[in-house]
Amino acid sequence: MSRPTVTIISGSGEASKDTASIPNVFKSPIRPDIVHSVHTGMNKNKRQPYAVSEKAGHQTSAESWGTGRAVARIPRVSGGGTHRAGQAAFGNMCRSGRMFAPTKVWRKWHQKINLNQKRFATASALAASSSAALLLARGHNIATVPEVPLVISSTAFADAAIAKTSAALALLKAVGAGADLEKVKKSRKVRAGKGKLRGRRYTQRRGPLVIYNPDEDGKELVGAFRNLPGVETSSVYSLNLLQLAPGGHLGRFIVWTSSAFSALDKVYGSTTEPSALKKDFLLPSALMKQPDLSKIINSSDVQKVLRPVRGGAISKRTNVQKKNPLRNLQVQLRLNPYAAAYSKNKEGQKSLNAGKPERVGESFTEQLHEN
Amino acid sequence: MATLSSDLIWEVVKQQGSSSLVKRTQAGGVSFSRDPLNLRNSFQRKYEGLVDDRAIGVQPGEEGGIVLLTKKNGKGHQPASHIQQSAIGSSRGTRKTYTAIVNSTANRNYRTDLRKDAVARASAIRKSQKPVKESKPAKVRGAKARAAAASA
Repeated sequence: MSRPTVTIISGSGEASKDTASIPNVFKSPIRPDIVHSVHTGMNKNKRQPYAVSEKAGHQTSAESWGTGRAVARIPRVSGGGTHRAGQAAFGNMCRSGRMFAPTKVWRKWHQKINLNQKRFATASALAASSSAALLLARGHNIATVPEVPLVISSTAFADAAIAKTSAALALLKAVGAGADLEKVKKSRKVRAGKGKLRGRRYTQRRGPLVIYNPDEDGKELVGAFRNLPGVETSSVYSLNLLQLAPGGHLGRFIVWTSSAFSALDKVYGSTTEPSALKKDFLLPSALMKQPDLSKIINSSDVQKVLRPVRGGAISKRTNVQKKNPLRNLQVQLRLNPYAAAYSKNKEGQKSLNAGKPERVGESFTEQLHEN
Repeated sequence: MATLSSDLIWEVVKQQGSSSLVKRTQAGGVSFSRDPLNLRNSFQRKYEGLVDDRAIGVQPGEEGGIVLLTKKNGKGHQPASHIQQSAIGSSRGTRKTYTAIVNSTANRNYRTDLRKDAVARASAIRKSQKPVKESKPAKVRGAKARAAAASA
């Protein structure tokens, strides 16, 4: 958790000597559950009401025939002379009847989401955008990107330098985002389903999100990036979760201008200092200071309270061939530690070389026969 | 922060899915992975190299042989220079190829748990690069054989 700076990349794609300190918002906890639920709610807030006609399925004067005519008691179209006469009407199971539970324009279309939750989700999505692994998992093609988060010097945007799409494209290619643009271009497909007829003909992946500071970078770049497929722009002062975590999935590839990057601390404050621009907002702090499980397990605090490993480094082997300890010296040594000294001192041959045993002394036999 | 814990990344990826994940309904539902750093193409914590700080990948080389991929230490936030590639050409024998893989990974205490898988994958790749041996023409038998013998 200690890489406090990020290199600022120049407009031509080389790493400059300048660095920017990582804003506090990147230390916020990563909470896919909160991001997902907030995204689900926010995604509903652009819907327009639709409903079937109030009259649909009811524009007939059908009445039930009652019992006794050996047909179901569903209302039937009166009269004669056409095929329609005598056919069942109104019910949701009937041909040209009304649908079940006809949709109404007064459905609850929009969701209220608590402001603090929205801010939490945004902070979380920003923090996740600094992880190359999450970017790759989301599907961004970032193999040529020099560093994540990718911060481009604002000098590249100064004086409306990026006002044309060709300049914007050259910039993105220079900083290694070209592969992601290519991916978006190739991904364009005709949408499956009815959406084709409703102004949503094509689907395509999302490319990089360019976040700028309108006060310093100007707004000309918006027009420059607008026509690049998959590329979106956003002001650092009005970040949107739908762009930061499309589909509720963390890890959007973000291209920052250096002035936008340095403005983040002003926008979000820290865990102790309230934000300058958001009322009553402190950044969420992580519940776990150390989320790395192996580091926790291997820490001295944990290791010192564990009981020592039983059996030491020797692990019991199963299903091994039994060795004859009389033939295999190593096995014999394991069973009989004295065997080493025995063979080294040649204890086995000693009696042979010693000749005849000494006679016991005279006093011994005397003492033996005394009583 | 930039270098998140791989445990945390795995929890996120497990929940929201990954671009490398390939799910199919065969065999009661299988989860495969497209990750080049995944030695078994299996979407599991142990094998998913995208998630881990240290991972081994073995890919076929462009002109035969294999390419060994490992992750460089402390470059997790620099995608362009994160992955170390080393090619082991087809002129090197298979056993030497395996030794080279093990010597530059598991023997240096780098993902010792993946030793077998790395060698197995290299072996499979080298085997696939061999020319396909043509099968022998089928021997004619029975009446056809007699007819052939008679005409000859």
